[in-house]
Amino acid sequence: MIKADRIFGVIGLLLSLWSFLESRRWDYMAEYSPGPGFFPFWLGLTLAIISCYLLYDTYRRKPSEEDHKSVLPRKQALYRIGSIMLVFTGVVVFMNTLGFTLAIALFVATILYVLEKYNIYKSIGYAIAYSATVWLVFTYLLEMNFPVGFLGI
Amino acid sequence: MDIFSSLMQGFATCLTPYNLWMAALGCFFGTLVGILPGLGASATIAMLLPITFGMDATPAMIMICAIYYGAMYGGSTTSILVNVPGESSSVVTAIEGYKLARKGKAGTALGLSAIGSFFAGTVGTIFLVFAAVPLAELSLKFGPADFFSLMLMGMLTIIFVGGKSIPKSLMSAVIGLMIGCVGTDIVQGQPRFAYGVPELLDGISFITMVMGTFGISEVLVSAEEFLKMEPMKVKFSELFPSFAEVWQCRWAIVRGSLVGFFVGSLPGSGASIASFIEYGVERSLHKDPGSFGTGVIEGVAGPESANNAATSGAMVPLLALGIPGTASTGVMLGALILYGLQPGPMLFVDNGPFVWAVIASMFIGNTILIFMNLPMVPLFASLLRIPYALLYPAILIVCIIGSYSLSMSVFDVGVMLIFGIVGYFMKKADIPAAPMLPALLLGPMIERSLYQALNLSHGNMMTFINHPISATLLAISTLMCIAIGFKSVRKTRAMIQDDDA
Repeated sequence: MIKADRIFGVIGLLLSLWSFLESRRWDYMAEYSPGPGFFPFWLGLTLAIISCYLLYDTYRRKPSEEDHKSVLPRKQALYRIGSIMLVFTGVVVFMNTLGFTLAIALFVATILYVLEKYNIYKSIGYAIAYSATVWLVFTYLLEMNFPVGFLGI
Repeated sequence: MDIFSSLMQGFATCLTPYNLWMAALGCFFGTLVGILPGLGASATIAMLLPITFGMDATPAMIMICAIYYGAMYGGSTTSILVNVPGESSSVVTAIEGYKLARKGKAGTALGLSAIGSFFAGTVGTIFLVFAAVPLAELSLKFGPADFFSLMLMGMLTIIFVGGKSIPKSLMSAVIGLMIGCVGTDIVQGQPRFAYGVPELLDGISFITMVMGTFGISEVLVSAEEFLKMEPMKVKFSELFPSFAEVWQCRWAIVRGSLVGFFVGSLPGSGASIASFIEYGVERSLHKDPGSFGTGVIEGVAGPESANNAATSGAMVPLLALGIPGTASTGVMLGALILYGLQPGPMLFVDNGPFVWAVIASMFIGNTILIFMNLPMVPLFASLLRIPYALLYPAILIVCIIGSYSLSMSVFDVGVMLIFGIVGYFMKKADIPAAPMLPALLLGPMIERSLYQALNLSHGNMMTFINHPISATLLAISTLMCIAIGFKSVRKTRAMIQDDDA
């Protein structure tokens, strides 16, 4: 946890610096009240103080058992999480081109086949079942509009 | 019109077949999603929000409220049957409930949980009726300075009860406030942190953020841990506790209802805090406190009652003041805005029939919940037998649909994904996400109140002291800051948070 606190302390400092610098682009005060730059300035400053405290605390405190835990996932877990995120990003990027129904079907099939090691037939079967259910409930019954792709679905 | 006739009118609206159907569907879907491990009430409401988009405000909100307490009940089922709390407010239930299940008393635990929830939900709603109206009337006298101080107090509560470490809670809240700055500034109408991206001019959607930090991140954590669940089998005939068991728990249920409503109505504290406090109360009042942790029925009935009463309590600041105290009520506030309503004290004046119908639906929803969910426990338990490999793609799909449907934009899906990753690492680093979410909503409100208060007083900072309500609220906030410095308070707080862990 000490490592995690240090990482978050540094991220906090960077965020605070960003907020602080950005706040200079806007007026700090309006006629009677705070201007657009007031909140980002003070929030940046507060975050800088907390981040410094968090960093200072990692050097001050005695490491406990919990402090030895790693914030980063193990290799296999990293592979799983990374794969889910990658497939998810694929859905975000290609949803407009592929169409919602097809994007969802590919999403499910890829996760089940690549990550969960289902055989190809089961993966495709579940993918069709999931996307058909989504189409039935959300597109047909609830009349929601989703992107239509090159296949017209 | 007095409270009673308004409530009766609310019942008349609510008891139409369509609205009853919406309440029943809400209870069912809320329990169904709430039962999934890790998904709490806020994520459940956010994910299921799109279902209500084609409806009028009244049936939509009736359904949302039903989803809320359905999700709360669903969380308890997972805690008792698999020892995996669906949400933080069910952690306590898992301590005693799972032990009871191991002793072959899963049905008793589930039955007591349902009875306690029903009683507490009903009592909580009665309290809501009598607390919300006077508070809304009082808050009509609130000026911007008073609202500023009230929200400041709410923020402090959120930070103090938000997690094990105050600096980390504070960090989470400040990041939430910073995210709240994204969009068009209210003072001069200038874009802030938008960088020419048109989608950012309206700010970052709170609902998208909830789905990311609570929904997606939970899926990532569960996927990492190769979650496997083996729920206890429970038969329908075993679901009803004996009269002696219910009688034994009567005071625990009453105490849970009172503690839950009171704690839930405080901005910032929610069902989790209520259930932990009630567990502590029950342990200290029990004739054999040492037996707690081995499967004590009062340890299930009390906290379960408390967390359900807290849901009614949390509706008080939402309906009367337009201030969300928890992430769940934050999502509900977002929903009210999506339905074209203006949350706040004027809601009772401008949309009285709507508010009373929603309140009446809470009585009806609680009744539906006990009659529907008890017989359906075996069905819900069988849902937990579905391999997680098949469940999590479904959760992700519902999240995608939920975020996309908010503004029909893939941009929101991307934002949700980013917050999913952020939420995952926050969980790993033990930084609570709970303070960040209400802060995102409260930030712009605080800024607006500050702007209005100072403009009205021509920049006089003493306006916050000169107004008696504002001065009182600021004094309470100061006392809270001082109290947290005291060792005994820190110790008690640490004990609660240790249990939470």
